[in-house]
Amino acid sequence: MSVQFLLQHCLIGLTNGALIALVALGYTMVYGIIGLINFAHGDLIMLGACLALSLVGALGMTAAGPATTWVGIGGLVLICGLFCGLLNVAVDRIVYKPLRNAPKLAPLVSAIGVSFIFMNVGLFWLGPADKSFPELLPSTNLLHNDALQFTWKDLLVVLIVGPLMVALSVLVKGTKLGKAMRAVSQDPTAAALVGVDVDRVIAATFFIGGFLGGAASVIYGLYINTIGFQMGFQNGLYAFTAAVLGGIGSIPGAVLGGLVIGLVRALASAYVGERWTGAIVFAILIVILVFRPEGLLGRRVKEKV
Amino acid sequence: MVGCRPADPDLVKIVSSLPRTGSAKHQSDTLVRGIRMAIDEAGGKVGRFRIEYLDLDDSTAAAGQWTSEAEAANARRALQDPDVCAYIGTFNSGAAKVSMPILNLGDLLMVSPANTAVGLTKPGLGVPGEPEVYRPTGRRNYARVVPADDLQGPMAADWALRRGVKKVYILDDNEVYGKGIADLFDERCRELGIEVLGHDSIDAKAQEFKSLMASIKATKPDLVYFGGTTQSKGGQLAKDMTAAGVGADLMVPDGCLEQVFIDSAGAANLEGRCFVTFGGLPPEKLTGKGGVFVERYREKYGELPEAYAVYGYEAARVAIEAIATAGSKDRRAICDAALAIRDFDGALGHWGFDENGDTTLRTLTVNVVKGGRFEFEEILDEADLVAPPPNEPSPRADPPGGGSP
Amino acid sequence: MSTNQASRTSAPPAPSTGPWAFLAQRWELVTLAALAIAPLVIPALGGALGGQVTNLFIYCILALALNVMVGYTGLVHLGIASFFGIGAYVLAILTVPMYPFQIGFLAAAVIAVLVTAGTGLALGAPTLRLRGDYLAIVTLGFGEVVKVTLRNLEQITGGMKGLNPVPPPGAGVTVAGIDLGKEFAIDPRWFYYLALLSLAGVVLAMRRLENSRLGRALVAVREDELAAQAMGISATKVKLAAFAMSSAVAGLAGCLYAASLSTTADPNAYDFNRSIMVLCAVILGGLGSIPGTLLGVAILVGFDTVLAPWADSWIQQMNVNPKGLSYLSFSGWRLAIFGVALVLVMRYRPEGLIPSRRLAAELRDGGAGS
Repeated sequence: MSVQFLLQHCLIGLTNGALIALVALGYTMVYGIIGLINFAHGDLIMLGACLALSLVGALGMTAAGPATTWVGIGGLVLICGLFCGLLNVAVDRIVYKPLRNAPKLAPLVSAIGVSFIFMNVGLFWLGPADKSFPELLPSTNLLHNDALQFTWKDLLVVLIVGPLMVALSVLVKGTKLGKAMRAVSQDPTAAALVGVDVDRVIAATFFIGGFLGGAASVIYGLYINTIGFQMGFQNGLYAFTAAVLGGIGSIPGAVLGGLVIGLVRALASAYVGERWTGAIVFAILIVILVFRPEGLLGRRVKEKV
Repeated sequence: MVGCRPADPDLVKIVSSLPRTGSAKHQSDTLVRGIRMAIDEAGGKVGRFRIEYLDLDDSTAAAGQWTSEAEAANARRALQDPDVCAYIGTFNSGAAKVSMPILNLGDLLMVSPANTAVGLTKPGLGVPGEPEVYRPTGRRNYARVVPADDLQGPMAADWALRRGVKKVYILDDNEVYGKGIADLFDERCRELGIEVLGHDSIDAKAQEFKSLMASIKATKPDLVYFGGTTQSKGGQLAKDMTAAGVGADLMVPDGCLEQVFIDSAGAANLEGRCFVTFGGLPPEKLTGKGGVFVERYREKYGELPEAYAVYGYEAARVAIEAIATAGSKDRRAICDAALAIRDFDGALGHWGFDENGDTTLRTLTVNVVKGGRFEFEEILDEADLVAPPPNEPSPRADPPGGGSP
Repeated sequence: MSTNQASRTSAPPAPSTGPWAFLAQRWELVTLAALAIAPLVIPALGGALGGQVTNLFIYCILALALNVMVGYTGLVHLGIASFFGIGAYVLAILTVPMYPFQIGFLAAAVIAVLVTAGTGLALGAPTLRLRGDYLAIVTLGFGEVVKVTLRNLEQITGGMKGLNPVPPPGAGVTVAGIDLGKEFAIDPRWFYYLALLSLAGVVLAMRRLENSRLGRALVAVREDELAAQAMGISATKVKLAAFAMSSAVAGLAGCLYAASLSTTADPNAYDFNRSIMVLCAVILGGLGSIPGTLLGVAILVGFDTVLAPWADSWIQQMNVNPKGLSYLSFSGWRLAIFGVALVLVMRYRPEGLIPSRRLAAELRDGGAGS
């Protein structure tokens, strides 16, 4: 097939990958700090998307003028981000916090339980059928090329995901909170000993992960345009896989993992067949992990001696 | 036999076994409304019996869809309760394969409002040994009020040919229903000389199909056929198709004939370009009993019935009629009474069951999406077939495993 | 009850006093006897309930299989359902009329178990050096690959139609004038006893394993891989053995599953959801604890397949919901009830309902995190 065909699929793959990466960050941050695979993260995003849809309906947002639309989208990202962030913190307080010293797998089951509860909430909120998310952005092609398509929607993903990731790196690398987060992630006890308020740091991590999830939910609605109460599962599956592929706990790893998975899916669909995409993504994942057991960018953890 | 508590002489129970948890809940909600209406209209009584209706769930929370275990348990439970005289279900053809042999052992009447897999009632298309494997006693107890796929798939292809379609891209959802109907459509297209550019299956759990649509766009089809349902992402496909700039029309089977399909796809993405085949007449075209049904449904639930509602209604009416004819709770007699129905004045028109337990309704309609609603386009009749349908399925031109462009 | 499990881990049971202590120490025998008598005194087990309980036994076997990996060896496994599925499909291929083999249940089950064990080894060998959660994701990925493959290789697996009919065990065998195949098809109690017998066998094998050299090696590797290796235990061999055993037992459960349903069902029956549910059952019951695992399955699967349908129809018969509103129906709340139950059990029994005492103590001391 032609080069343009290949390019088109790479574009689609990378855009999808950016969205996966944003969700994967929520997994990797929570995992990095308390070692929990937060199975409810995908469903948290589903609830964020429910809120976004309700807000769009209540405010009567339409694809009016470009300026107002972009301001509106910014507002949605903020509100849904806050909603998901606070909800994530609340869940941590109520459900995971009492289990800090429990066996490692106990909170995993709680997270699955939370995921079921969220799904039920979503079922009542949205109803059982999938709902269409209004098209707020025009799908005009930004590239003047018939065979190669890159629309405002695709641009939106890049425009929101890029800055969020930069902000996140600055936060983790450059601020006091980020330092505390890294400290807690390495050794909570030692961090507490040097005066880090571990509980607050964990809450902040849940908030940031949730906020990114809320932002992802808005992008999801605007980019995929369909939401449903069961969307969290597949969403979470790929994002979690991306987080592990990149090296779980590593922020650049999650981003790289997301992009790789998006790309592999798009290319598998184009050159092998849509029906095999699921198998190919995971087969490649297994192969990569066999050769790089810590993930693409994971730290080589020294075994205890 | 153990487990028989004494039967209540004045009571008959009608149970339905449908997926009530998870992604098919919307469709099963509609079916259950139809069933309830039929029972309410009968005054909750048939002959000297009071009717009790039980809405069983054949899905589990853990799976989020129908499971074999739940379906088998429902069937055994219905069989064991001596008051149960009819079993309305299943929604999924795969589930019917689990419960049919179980119910057959006890001669309990099973009327499906939604199974369309051909092999459930007649041989030739599915697994070897069908349909006898579902009738261990050799007696029959299964009937369905929907036409099987062997009509809808091929007739859709004939319609496409008449419309001037030359190149088609076929997709299915890899489910029993969707894949079955897409394979039949595929086969018929090749017979009629319509070029099949590709045939691929989607994962009904995937979120978007942008890559797939970009590939399809490059093949420049006149028509994209999707064998699948609303819940297996019919709406998302339509949406991504428009977004990718695939100029072709979209054709889908009756699994998508419901308002939520339009809602999930976004009306603008379907406007004037999406065609839906349906076995029977759409609600607004129903006259006589059917017109009355639509009116009452609207009164009761405040909205027009979805396409499935009338099947639920009709299935329940068949069950009630059969019990009335049998006049007793003798399960065998009820099965015989149901299968002997030859002229039924139903909401779908005048129809009956043939010797296989299939409906004699052979009318299909094509509907088009206009103004955010389904609008009746034309009636398809077997007489309109360009060439007579083959008696035996011809060998496929290419193995079903392949099919990517 | 849980205090009486204390003596379980030491090889010879401590001398006990009184009949209660005696019974509690032999809870397996007592339960087995009760379950064996049950179908004779509870008529409902001859009907739908019998099928549901049979199903529970099969899930118990599957959960015990997972317990070898997660409980004893400490390897998180998110793809146990794929081995369950491979077992079911191998059995089906060897017995359904579509294929020429049709070798009968017993021989087919033996081959299926060997094949799943081999598959487990093939997956385990290259991935053993992965640490905890990386191994978990490999097993998850393997599960997805198996599911998609089963779905797409239509000529072999029947695709979404699955393979059917799987003949009942003993099809064509007549003992003393009784056609066993027909008996199995008609009366669920035959399957009930077959599944119960298999479960009892697996529990016995697990008990022997716990007290064997290999079993202690598994635990040693879980506790501290380096220290275990320093003591001369080959962690690689031990983990591979865990992989093989776990897969084989899961394959056995798959055989029973396909035979009891008379179909493999469709590949979605072996997806990630099922793996996760079984994992939840094992953790909920108590990692590494046989009675805990059984109880976990009884609660989770029992809720979903026995209790929920029963409650659902009970509420319907109360007729509180004439309009069929989803807020008032049980199925409308089913997911939330399930979720709340998981959260509450973990909140109040984080070590599981019946913790393996040794494991619980160690995990408490070791702390979480890391």
